[in-house]
Amino acid sequence: MAVKEQKTKPQLVKDFWPRFKRGAVVLIILLQLLILIAVAALLSSFGFFENEPLAFIGTLVAQSILGVVASLIIYHFVARPVKHLLAALVHVAGEPTSTTPPNPNEAHFEKNGFKPVLQTIYQLASDSPDPIADGAKEAAEKVSSSSTGLSGEVLAQALDTTQSGFVVFNKDRKIIFSNQSTPIKVSTEGVTSLDLIFSETNTLEQWWDECSANAVHAEKTWARIANKLPDEEGRRFFDVMASYNKESETEMVVTLIDRTHLYSVGEAELDFIAFAAHELRGPITVIRGYLDVLQDELSGVIQPDQQELFRRLTVSANKLSGYINNILNTSRFDRRHLKMRPTETTVTEVYDTIKDDMELRASSQNRLLSVSIPDGLPTIAADTASLGEVFSNLIDNAIKYSNEGGAINVSAASKGDMVEISVEDHGIGMPGSVVSNLFQKFYRSHRSRETVAGTGIGLYISKAIVESHGGSISVRSEDGRGSTFIVSLPTYKMVADRLQSSNNDNQALITENSGGWIKNHNMYRG
Amino acid sequence: MAIKTILIVEDDRFIGEMYVRSLKKAGFDVDWMIDGNDGLIAARNKQYDLLLLDVMLPERRGTEILEALRGSEDLIPHSKVIVLTNFEQDEESRTAMESRADAYLIKADITPNKLLSVIEQLNG
Repeated sequence: MAVKEQKTKPQLVKDFWPRFKRGAVVLIILLQLLILIAVAALLSSFGFFENEPLAFIGTLVAQSILGVVASLIIYHFVARPVKHLLAALVHVAGEPTSTTPPNPNEAHFEKNGFKPVLQTIYQLASDSPDPIADGAKEAAEKVSSSSTGLSGEVLAQALDTTQSGFVVFNKDRKIIFSNQSTPIKVSTEGVTSLDLIFSETNTLEQWWDECSANAVHAEKTWARIANKLPDEEGRRFFDVMASYNKESETEMVVTLIDRTHLYSVGEAELDFIAFAAHELRGPITVIRGYLDVLQDELSGVIQPDQQELFRRLTVSANKLSGYINNILNTSRFDRRHLKMRPTETTVTEVYDTIKDDMELRASSQNRLLSVSIPDGLPTIAADTASLGEVFSNLIDNAIKYSNEGGAINVSAASKGDMVEISVEDHGIGMPGSVVSNLFQKFYRSHRSRETVAGTGIGLYISKAIVESHGGSISVRSEDGRGSTFIVSLPTYKMVADRLQSSNNDNQALITENSGGWIKNHNMYRG
Repeated sequence: MAIKTILIVEDDRFIGEMYVRSLKKAGFDVDWMIDGNDGLIAARNKQYDLLLLDVMLPERRGTEILEALRGSEDLIPHSKVIVLTNFEQDEESRTAMESRADAYLIKADITPNKLLSVIEQLNG
């Protein structure tokens, strides 16, 4: 017995529209027939047919034609968005089709408000390429393949004439093509690689790893990537655009737009901020210093309540000084000028540099600050001044976001290769939505915007400083119950081991200068 | 050797006077020069136990003074040097000064009492 072979065809998005249209037209005709029968029956029952047979038929015909036309017009208006929506979906789904995808930038879409609908669909599907740009690309390819004479060599020459860098990597991550403007370094073994300084937590390599694991096609842009450290000759800035295509001959294609001209303006601004900071620091030096001198000289002479006024002055001057440091460090960090000068030290030593200030701040604002940093914690590799600023920012926040009389606990503990420092308060806490944005620059939660003063750079720069130490910062918080910030720093031993091993790799990036601080372009860079 | 004599090179009168006042009160012998040239001459003529050196100075910058004193040869082998500045120097100059000085501090962060504890540390 012969079995009839049945091909199971997968259902496609584009098949829906013709079916929907057919169904709608059939429905309209059936409805009109029903109306026709109903009207005919009604008119006959009044004897209209016997009296005026011609008028009767004329009325029915006119009513049918008008009914069908009106229904089709309504259908056309109602179903049109569905049609565009489906056309967009067909392209997004990547189904073969001869129709062009609806362009959200067309005037009538803008006018009838359909534009955002289309944009949303294309955006949601942005993993799959934009059909419009795709069409343009295809067209361009057609042109280039049909135009004769643009050989690889000519193309390479053409690319060499631009200021922008252009690099192609194969799937083994080897550079197989780069034009002249691309900053390239060659290792002693003769291996070429991109000579760019990405931020440590956001490198091309890391993104490539992510892509290999999760993506078929992906694109990413990095802004303001330099090829050299500050103060080095020939420093250039690039906006870097990378395009990943899994398992392709040219798996990663990177374009570097030279923005040195644009971003050098930033360097001039940095000078301005440096000078401004100098100007601001002068008066602060005098205010803090004279308060110190006066308080010593007047102790025993002035009344306790006057003493309290002095303390408030001191606290305010110290805070001001801290904020200026935050602004200066943020400006440095954003321009990749922030440098850490780590030495072997302990958490206690770092805390001691801000101890008096913190105790004064807490007591003048009626908070109970208790600090328990155990002896015998492993040493850390830290830039004392910068890390002191981090602790002071965290304690300052704990004071700000807790209530009068609230307890603030600072503690430290050894955790494997890391030393953890926690700052815990029992204040207002935060909901999860706030926590996830907390370390962003200028971020202030809606609530704190209205009730607590601040600039939104304290946590941003604290995170930057901690990460520049090879550490991390995290937060646990419960709305209404308080927050705990945890700074985790690698032990000095771990850092030293890592430096040692990279020295053996002959990278020659690390030196320990006579002052004892470690200059390491890899680890200690803003 | 415990620090006894101190030379301050500082052009800001408010700040200079502040250090002089508190250091004298703490029992140190203090000399104070306002411009870089006088500072360098004073440091050459007398071996101070400690130099407090500003960076932005008239006539001769702190960088140059330190270079002259501790560049090719150390003219002040028995002296300690603390650089005190509010200025953000470029990396190169800062590194050079740091390698020649015993401490490099931001003035705005160092009140007279903190300075005294730094000096105590240098003594220890």
